[in-house]
Amino acid sequence: MTMHKSRGISLAAGLSYAQGLLPLTMGLVIWQAIGPERSPYFPRPSSWYDSLVALFNSGKLLPALNATAISFSLGILLACAIGFVLGILIGRAPLLRDALGPLLEFCRGLPPPVLVPVAVLLFGYAESLKLLIIVWVSVWPILLNTTQAVHLLDNLLLDVARTFHFSMATTLRKIVVPAAIPAFLLGVRVAIPLAIIMTLLIEMLTSLQGIGSLIVTSQRQFRSAEVYGLLALVGVFGFLVNAIFTMVERQVLKRWPPAIQV
Amino acid sequence: MEGRVGGELEPIFECRDLDYSINLPTGPRRILDGITLDVYRGEFLTIVGGSGTGKTSLLRLLGGLTRTTGGSICFRAKAVDGPPDGVVVVFQDYSHALLQWRTVIDNVALGLEGRVVATTLRERVTKALEMVGLQHCASDYPWQLSGGMQQRVQIARALALQPEVLMMDEPFGALDAMTKAILQDELLRVHRDTGTSFVFITHDIDEAVYLGDRVIVLGGSPGRIYKSISIKLPRPRDQITSRQAAAFLAYRAEIHAAVRESTRSDGY
Amino acid sequence: MAIKLNIPGTLTILALAALWELVVRSGAVTFEYLPPPSVILSSWRTLIASGEMAIQTLHTLRSILIGWTVATAIGVGIGLLLGLSSFARNWSLASFDVLRPLPAIAFLPLALLLFNFSLTTELVLIIYASVWPVLINTMGGVTSVASRLYDVSRTLRLTRSQTLLKIIIPAAAPAIVTGCRLSMGLSLIMAIIAEMIANPHGLGYAVISELQAMQPGRMFAYVLFIGLLSLALNAGLVWTSRHFLSGHRWAKNDHA
Repeated sequence: MTMHKSRGISLAAGLSYAQGLLPLTMGLVIWQAIGPERSPYFPRPSSWYDSLVALFNSGKLLPALNATAISFSLGILLACAIGFVLGILIGRAPLLRDALGPLLEFCRGLPPPVLVPVAVLLFGYAESLKLLIIVWVSVWPILLNTTQAVHLLDNLLLDVARTFHFSMATTLRKIVVPAAIPAFLLGVRVAIPLAIIMTLLIEMLTSLQGIGSLIVTSQRQFRSAEVYGLLALVGVFGFLVNAIFTMVERQVLKRWPPAIQV
Repeated sequence: MEGRVGGELEPIFECRDLDYSINLPTGPRRILDGITLDVYRGEFLTIVGGSGTGKTSLLRLLGGLTRTTGGSICFRAKAVDGPPDGVVVVFQDYSHALLQWRTVIDNVALGLEGRVVATTLRERVTKALEMVGLQHCASDYPWQLSGGMQQRVQIARALALQPEVLMMDEPFGALDAMTKAILQDELLRVHRDTGTSFVFITHDIDEAVYLGDRVIVLGGSPGRIYKSISIKLPRPRDQITSRQAAAFLAYRAEIHAAVRESTRSDGY
Repeated sequence: MAIKLNIPGTLTILALAALWELVVRSGAVTFEYLPPPSVILSSWRTLIASGEMAIQTLHTLRSILIGWTVATAIGVGIGLLLGLSSFARNWSLASFDVLRPLPAIAFLPLALLLFNFSLTTELVLIIYASVWPVLINTMGGVTSVASRLYDVSRTLRLTRSQTLLKIIIPAAAPAIVTGCRLSMGLSLIMAIIAEMIANPHGLGYAVISELQAMQPGRMFAYVLFIGLLSLALNAGLVWTSRHFLSGHRWAKNDHA
């Protein structure tokens, strides 16, 4: 096994991967070709694009996209910070872990959609509601993964810290934190789709500004081309978020042996 | 005594000018070169060589798991195209080669299921287990057994098929010395009792001499047959007396020298 | 799930419940619509007694079961195909990778458009979302079958179908079962989402309608019940999968 890492994907590999796009592209092409001129249920892909352009021109698209993107990003980042810090603390304290364990598991297992009505009841229809829910939903996988990693920290590494007479802070900084990072990133990876789903869900249920409420409005007005167009937009959004995360992950985990890299 | 059949030695494998190359990203690499070799009925043939000499490739070619890129292999006078009927391969990594989710007895039965009637299956499986001394572990799972026992399960699985030739790829390489010795003797017992031919790959020269009727030294890169030595040690062999015999030491020295020369001649 | 009682954990939960009760009753913190646990419990009793909780639960459970079963069948089928055939993989994987990150919830308005407020909408959503974990895990399980096992199937001269049934599928089983477990969790989530927005039946709908009726006690009762249901479903699956994979105890990969 060679140790050198290729700089990104070679052109040949990229092309051979892209051939897998054939079914999807063919599907869209066929739809475009045989789709009826105006169909209430299966509008042609070209009409999706047209409707998106119209939305954009009407000045509704960008603010909605903005609102969704910002809520999502803010929520995830906050969840990362809270989840990581708490994860390390709880992981290092066995008593806390035992005491809070069942509670945390219950919170993790509580289906996220159920939180929306609860939060609405308690806090009303406010923008902060959105952030609160996104953070709540995202924090659990991050927190629990980090806790688990810290808990399972190889005792050998801790012995190393003791032989070197590391202080608690140094141990945390040099051993515990780096060891928890792969699991933390895995937790973030799990949290991302959850956060996207919840952002959209809140927007759909409460009509707070965002892509979700835009889609629901379009659906209620039976503007099917808009619905499909926005759907595709959400897909692109999800793809971009994943791509960015993968790049960040690869950068951060460059120093880890491949086995740990996800 | 070499060769189990009295009188003429009957070849069951005939290799003529065997070549084997693989395609690496850096270009084609020849692994074996001009291998001409017969395997005789009933013999215990061991093949030794250092790493990279193509021992495993040769075994896979004989076992029909890989196709030659030049020359010919015949088993019972028919060209080998896929695993021949009557030849079974036993692998070094027993934990990957066994079905860990099946009990020992179900593992041993794997090759016979759907091929023979239930009563025959049960008979052959029981007999195979007895041959390797595992009749008491029939309902255990492989992951509950030690390495040596797992390897025995793999051997029993092969024996249940009553093969003409058993090919073994460094089967004891992953085991400790004592387990190795016990299994070597068990293998010799099976050889004596069933008359099956063995083709046994190893990098352990002592093992090769102890077990074999004939030792082939594979050397160089690409691998060539460097030497073929008849082992005229009396059978049954014994871990203590056979290994102390003057003849044993002489064969051992001869093979060590051959391996050393074959490495040097290729400029390592 | 540990059989032994987690004492600190249980105490914490009881303490929190007591604190909650105290804080609300004493008026120290006022949320206009936050009921204390005692009220929630009594609402629970009422709902169970009237049979309403049972009706809603049955609807949700039925949707989940149907959706999950269909999703599993589709996911295992396609997953096996993709896992076994590198040709199929080469010519379709990228398409799947594009569709996968699309959150199933984004399809909800589309499903509403096509199927209106109905059980079909709910089922379509559940199935679409739940197929993915099963598909991905099945494909992954099949492609990571140890190559040595293929050598074994060849040297023992097993037929193609024997190899598939006796080696490939059992070897991939732990991964497939994990995929099924993940997808069950998704089925529950999607069922609730669908019931909140697109199909006025079931537990999800019950929560929303209690919200709109300003009945916090009953709403929280449903919320907590949903949480417990989720735990129970997961525990049930863990137990079934352990039982199913009894020979696989060597594959210590299950994350309960």
